Parts: sequence; structure tokens; C-alpha cells
Amino acid sequence: MEYRTVLTTCTYCGTGCGLLLEVMDGEVVGVLPAKTHPINEGKLCIKGWNAHEFIYADGRLTKPLVRKGDTLEEASWDEALETIANKFAEIKKTNGPDSLGCFSSAKCTNEENYLLQKIFRAAIGTNNVDHCARL
Amino acid sequence: MTNSVPEFEDADCILITGSNTTSSHPLIASRIMKAKEKGAKIIVVDPRKMHIASLADIYVAQNLGSDVAWINGLMRIILQEGWENASFIKERTEGFEELKKAVAEYTPEKVEEITGIPKETLKEIAKIYATSEKSSIVYCMGITQHATGTDNVKSLANLAMLTGQIGRPSTGVNPLRGQNNVQGSTDLAAIPNVYPGYQPVTDDAIREKFEKAWGVPLSPDPGLTVVEMINAVEEGKLKGLFVLGENPLVSDPDSNHVEKALDAIDFLVVQDIFMTETARKADVVLPGASFAEKDGTYTGTDRRLQKIRKAVEPPDEAKADWDVLCRVGKAVGGKGFEFASPEEVFREIAEVMPIYHGITYDRIEKEIIHWPCRSEDDPGSPYLHKDGFAKGKGHFTPIGYKPPVELPDKEYPYQLTTGRLPFHYHTGTMTRVSPSLTHEVNEAFIEVHPTNAFEIGVKNSQVVRLTSRRGSVNAKVIITNDVKKGVVFMPFHFAEAAANRLTIAALDPIAKIPEYKVCAVNIEKIEESEA
Amino acid sequence: MEKFKKYIKELFESGEIEGFLGIRKNGLHPVPHLFTPEHPEELETLTIPDVRYPMTEILLTIVRKYPDKKLGIMVRGCDERALNELVKNQKILPELIKHIGIACSADLAASCRCAQPYPEEIHYGEKVAPVEDRSDIEAIDTMPQEERFDYWMSEFSKCIKCYGCRNICSMCFCDQCTLEDNDLIATGQAPPAIPIFHLIRAFHMAGRCIDCGLCEEACPAHIPLRTLYRKVRESMSGFLGYVSGTEGGEKDPLEFLGSEGYMVPSKIDEK
Repeated sequence: MEYRTVLTTCTYCGTGCGLLLEVMDGEVVGVLPAKTHPINEGKLCIKGWNAHEFIYADGRLTKPLVRKGDTLEEASWDEALETIANKFAEIKKTNGPDSLGCFSSAKCTNEENYLLQKIFRAAIGTNNVDHCARL
Repeated sequence: MTNSVPEFEDADCILITGSNTTSSHPLIASRIMKAKEKGAKIIVVDPRKMHIASLADIYVAQNLGSDVAWINGLMRIILQEGWENASFIKERTEGFEELKKAVAEYTPEKVEEITGIPKETLKEIAKIYATSEKSSIVYCMGITQHATGTDNVKSLANLAMLTGQIGRPSTGVNPLRGQNNVQGSTDLAAIPNVYPGYQPVTDDAIREKFEKAWGVPLSPDPGLTVVEMINAVEEGKLKGLFVLGENPLVSDPDSNHVEKALDAIDFLVVQDIFMTETARKADVVLPGASFAEKDGTYTGTDRRLQKIRKAVEPPDEAKADWDVLCRVGKAVGGKGFEFASPEEVFREIAEVMPIYHGITYDRIEKEIIHWPCRSEDDPGSPYLHKDGFAKGKGHFTPIGYKPPVELPDKEYPYQLTTGRLPFHYHTGTMTRVSPSLTHEVNEAFIEVHPTNAFEIGVKNSQVVRLTSRRGSVNAKVIITNDVKKGVVFMPFHFAEAAANRLTIAALDPIAKIPEYKVCAVNIEKIEESEA
Repeated sequence: MEKFKKYIKELFESGEIEGFLGIRKNGLHPVPHLFTPEHPEELETLTIPDVRYPMTEILLTIVRKYPDKKLGIMVRGCDERALNELVKNQKILPELIKHIGIACSADLAASCRCAQPYPEEIHYGEKVAPVEDRSDIEAIDTMPQEERFDYWMSEFSKCIKCYGCRNICSMCFCDQCTLEDNDLIATGQAPPAIPIFHLIRAFHMAGRCIDCGLCEEACPAHIPLRTLYRKVRESMSGFLGYVSGTEGGEKDPLEFLGSEGYMVPSKIDEK
């Protein structure tokens, strides 16, 4: 029998409300507003109150997929990463680093954004890095 | 934001424009409501009469895309009435004479003609904003998503500097960031022209610093933006694209054009948590983790660093995105991707980024820190420009009004503007699988003024076809006085009736932001059988 | 505090309870937590802050999954009123739930305007005087009717339809919520239809609301919800002589309305 709450930051908008994920036996079962958080002071909007619902929605991606002809087929992490490495190397060799680019994500963490731009700037050699801040 | 969220509560005047605050930033709206209870005057200037408008002391609808004109008009009135802050202008700014000249032609009569804002209302707004002790400006995508987005933002900055409503608590110019970590992803240089911390890639000394930190030579050429990359695919210049947690097929303007580009590209990698419309087109799909399944930090709209914490494991073989990216980095031959935790990544970030330099995981557990925070004993900066602007003096930019790129005409007689609902988020990838949210609303609609509905010959809930020069979609009509005559509104969350099949990819020349908020459309009634 | 922690540990060791729902310190923030005999070391983080979480609402979440477990729960005066009402409504079995009583501090009692800031049996803290304060109700009662109507309409018009008032309420235990009934309240609108949305909830609070005030604390629009429900509570007491939250077999007199007008909650399996 486990019930614990994990203090985190809402993933929906830039306000940055504090919320508690209610975890029961390894599963997120609900959300409570963090009462002592300086931004939302124990209040949430409808999206925040339901921020846990999408986690267990059908259709979560659970395995890497690699395109074989017209279909995306399940693959191992090694195969997926190798495909990316080979294809990126080939494109870079033929067309130069500026023929590659990335859309990073305003939904991902600071650390993840840092890593992706570092991959493109340092490992691939292009500044074609953007995200949908404007959208 | 120049100021922090809790400060709104103590403002005397809050001028909100282009922000549907109760929908898109409800807990900021909560602070604004609190401010009103404490006596603040709330002013809303927006083409749509949204919830926050109904709570305002003054609400006025401007014509779509006429922001520079009304802001210049406000400044002209302020100068004429002597409501400007002369000592602030003298000590803290430059370019005042040029601004004065530029706004001179924006007489109340001319402004009323361009914007539709009655001159008496404009004067009242000018007085309250300029003469209140602490006035704060709140804006969102309604200001920025225009071909003149940069002009609009600079105009608001001019207004704040002219009246000295900046550099003090509860004042400032406060853009509300739409997505949870827009601020952070921009800080971390998910933009083409800078390294993390807004350090230009074109600056030799800075580039050398990063070459040393990362141990490789780096490109001195600024890269392409999202919309430019899509165009480059069409021109055959961009061959491979990596998309992390985005759904450009629904979120980007002129989706038909984006779809063609993604079909044409040689190699597409998508890392996401759901099989999005974009992921379906990918050659490799990598399963990432939701916010409940990983650790890391977000930077809020007011530059506040906060942690997210892992509560449960990612499903099956999915992995935390930072972990996936370390693996990708190593796979493509990169050096310096041997991180064992997000905290280790953050340590490297703090090292290379002066504005985050004093921030650690330990500190944000115990303190609220807003960047810039340059050292371990720097408490951070809840509000900016206290003693001076980053570049010394604040520069007034003289700006003239330019009409929207696409104006209504005979063929496309209505103006379409787009936005969010309180119940959904962005392209709906997360909210449209959330039962409590889909219970509220789960289909696209279009808001139409009663007069226009009569012209078109439709009743509430009937389906119409909207057509622009780029595409067409069907949607149910909601007849409401909340939109002005001639203007229609559509939320952009719904892929099956994607508003962005209609929108125009006209870009702001500097920020490269698309003009989502104005394009011309035609509306036709369609028969039941067709619907 | 050490004595209190030791007491919980003893309850674990004697097998009197198999879990204790309390508050744990997480960095700067106190957060709800179920302490268990398997992890007695976690009791080190046990704290009793001047912050209230909806403990009885959380208890229902746990009981739904573990109806047979013997659980201890940290209860303040308000939580105890809620538990009494949950027992009457057959949502929990009193013999399985042990009240671990906390007397609220004078500060908390004052900020809550609490008429009974302590439970029957106190295991931690000192009883402070109840706060008798009807000023909020009086202020509205003295308004002319039209002004009163305008006041409430203007307050309700701020609602952003977050459902926070319902979500945080341990008395909102119905299987189906009338607030989500499309025929009564159109979906997809914020603010929701007023005053119907708020009046439906107010009617449903009659005979249930135990005046804890968590709804008002959770309201992003700062609507004085507690005042509204307090008024309803007073009316119930005045007209029908029923005060919800009191201990004893007497049930909410509005239950006779039946499933047509009043959602009768499903009962938990009685053992």
C-alpha cells in the first residue's frame, strides 16, 4: 500500500504552477494544487487539475520505431540510434552540415533543450536549431 | 517578463492586450483578479471580448493588426497632456526626440479611423496607465503573432519607458509565455542565432568560448528558423530534420505547405510521447517520457527556475528525453554526452551560461530564483532594469503603423484570428486524450458575429466551410457578440479542422513569427449532406 | 513532536493501524503522505504545518482501493466533521479509521475563522478558542435583495470553471457529478452558465458542507464560496435542525429527495 505525493511543476503553460502528483502503488492517480507554492498558492486551472490524465492515455509511444517501406515498425534502441547515425552521417557528407536541422521543444526541459542544440551545434556543426516559441 | 507573477497583485493599473488570460494563463488571471479586488484598474484592449474583458474596468476592441497605431496614439496623448515621466526619460533613455516626432501624426481622430478605438476611450486609457503609481503591461500572442510583431512589442516598450512604468515592482512589460518552457528553451538557445544565454553565434570571442567548452570547431553562420527550415526542405536544401516534442504539422502556419515539406524530406526523426500527425511521417520515432516520468527544470514565464520531478517510470521501453538525447549525441559521434543525470547536464549549463551561472539544483530546492543570477550569492532578479537597461540606456524606437499583410477583399471578405480555449493546450496532443477536458469541448468551432451569421445565412451549430488562399476547413458556427463584425475566431487545437490550414505564413522580418492572428477568409454555408 | 512520532510508531508496531495519512516535509513544502510500518524511517519527515490539505478526500482515494485496511489519519476539527459525514454516508467504516487528533494553532484558527479548531481527542497541540465570526454572512444579509443578487452574479462571473471547489471537497463523493451534466450546464464555456453552476453546487452542499473552507482557498477567481455554503449550512440548521459534520446516526434530511433530485452515493461494500 503506497500513497505519496510528488511536488512538480505543471506542464501546461508558462505560468509554472506547483502541483502534487498523487502516486498510488506506482501509478499517478490524481493531482493536488501545491498549497505553499508562491505562484499558484493552492489553486489550479482545469488543465492543471487534470495534468495527470494524458499520462496513461492510449497511444503512448512505448518502443522505438523505424520505417520499413510504408510502415513504421518496432525496433530496438540500438537499431533506431544506428539508423539515425548512419543517415545523418550520409546527409552531412553529401550536402554539408547545414542540410540538417532540428526543432527543439518548448514542452521539454532546459536540460533537454541544451542537449539537442549541443548535438546540432557541436556534433553536427550547424546552427539550424529552432523551436515553436513563436507558434 | 520584466517582472514576476506575484507582483501583478500589487499593481495599480494592468493593461492587458492580446492575451486571453483566463484561458491561457488562468493563474496569472487569478492574480489580476486579486489586483482588481485591491483597487487596481484593469484595461483590456483586444479584438475579442473574452472572459478577462468582461472583468475589466475598460474594455475596447481594436481592429485586427492595428496595435502600433493605438499605442502611438496613447503616447501622443500622454505627451500632449504632460503625463510622461520626464526624469526617467532624461536619465534612463535615448531617442526621445525621434519618438516624439514619430507619434505626432497619430492624432486621436486618425487612430480612431485605423483602430476603431473611440478617442475618448483612448484618452481615458492613456490617463490611467500613465498616471497610476504602478502600471503593468501584460501581452501575449495577440501582440506577437503578426508580421509587425516586433514593432508591436517595441511600441509597448516605448510606452512603458515614456511613462517610467518599468524597473520597479509591479510595473514592466510582461509577455506571457504560452508553453510551459518557452522561456527555458529560448534561454537554452533552441533558436538559430545564439548559444545558450543569448550569446551570439556570430561573436568570435563567444564562439571561441563555446568551442573550448565543447571541444569542437563551431559554425559562425546563424541557422534557419522553423518556417525557414520548412521552406529549405522545399528548395531541396534541408535533407534531414530532428523534431523533439513538437507537432509542426498542426502548430505551424499554412499546414498544407508543411505537410508537403515533411512528405518530401529525405529523413525525419521524431521524438515524442504520442504518435502525432508529424510522427506518422517520420523515418525513425523515439519514445520519450512525460513530465511525470523524468527529472529536470523548466523556466517559467517570469524567468523563475523550477524543478520537475519523476513520479513514475516511463512506459515499457520509453526513456526520459534527456537520456534519449545523450544516446543520440553519442550515436552521431558527439563528444561530451556522458551525463548520468539531468543535474549533471544543468551543471554544464550553469558553467557556459552567465545568466544561469549562480543557479544549482540545490538552490532551487530552497529558494525562488529568477535569472539573471550570476553567482552563488546572487539572489536573482524578480524584476529587471532596476538601475539601468541591459544595454545602458533604454532606446526609444520610432515606429509607424503598417496594415496586416492580407486584408479582406471581395473574394475573402472576413478576417480570421486564432487562439486557445481554456480546456485545451496547443495542438491537443495531451489535452485531447484527457477525458475531463474533452468532456468540455472536443471539436473545432468558429465564432461569428450575429450580423455576419445573418449574411451567410447560418444558425448556431450549423457547419460552414472556411476558405483562405491556402486551404479550407469545416467547422460549427457559434454566433456571438464577442467578436467584432467582420472578424471570426477559431481555436487551433483541433487537427481535423486545423485553423492553420487557413493561416498565412507571412513572417515578422526580425522575430520570424508568423501572422497567425490575421488572415482573410471566406465563409460558406454547406448543406447537411456535405457536412 | 518526537512524542507524537513515537505514538504513531507504536500504533504501527501494535498493528492497530496499517498506515498513517499525515503530512511530510518535502524541502520547503509540506505535502500529504501515507506513512506505513514498512518505512518507519519516513516518520522523521512527519510535520504538522499551518497548511491544510484535503486529508479526508485523500483518505477516500485510498479507501476505494484498500477498503479493508486499518488506517490512521491526521484530523483537525474540520477533518473530523468530514469523517463524521463520511461515516453517515457509508463511505468509510468507523471501526477501520483511527482519528489522530491535531489541535490547530491560534493563527490557523484565526485565518480559517474556525468555529471548532480541534477534534474530540487531541494527540498533538493545545486547544485554542473557537472563532465565532459571521461577519461575511451578515454583510451580505444586510444588502438589499437586488444588490445581493448583483453581488453574487458579479462574483460568479469570475469563475474559470476549474472545478477546484468540487475536486478539493471531501463531501463531493458522488459517482456522477451534476456539474458535468450537459443538460443542466453547457460544457465548454468559461465562465460556466451563471448562477446555475454555483447554485447547483450550493444546493448539493446543503446537508453536507462541513465548513472547512478548502473550496474557497482553492478558488483561482477568489469567489467567496465559503460564505455561500455557510449560509446554506445555517439555513439547514435553522429550517431542518440539521448540522452536518456532527457525530451520530442522524442523516442528511435532504436524502429523502432520492435519486431524481439528489444523487445518492453508491455505498461501499459492507463487510
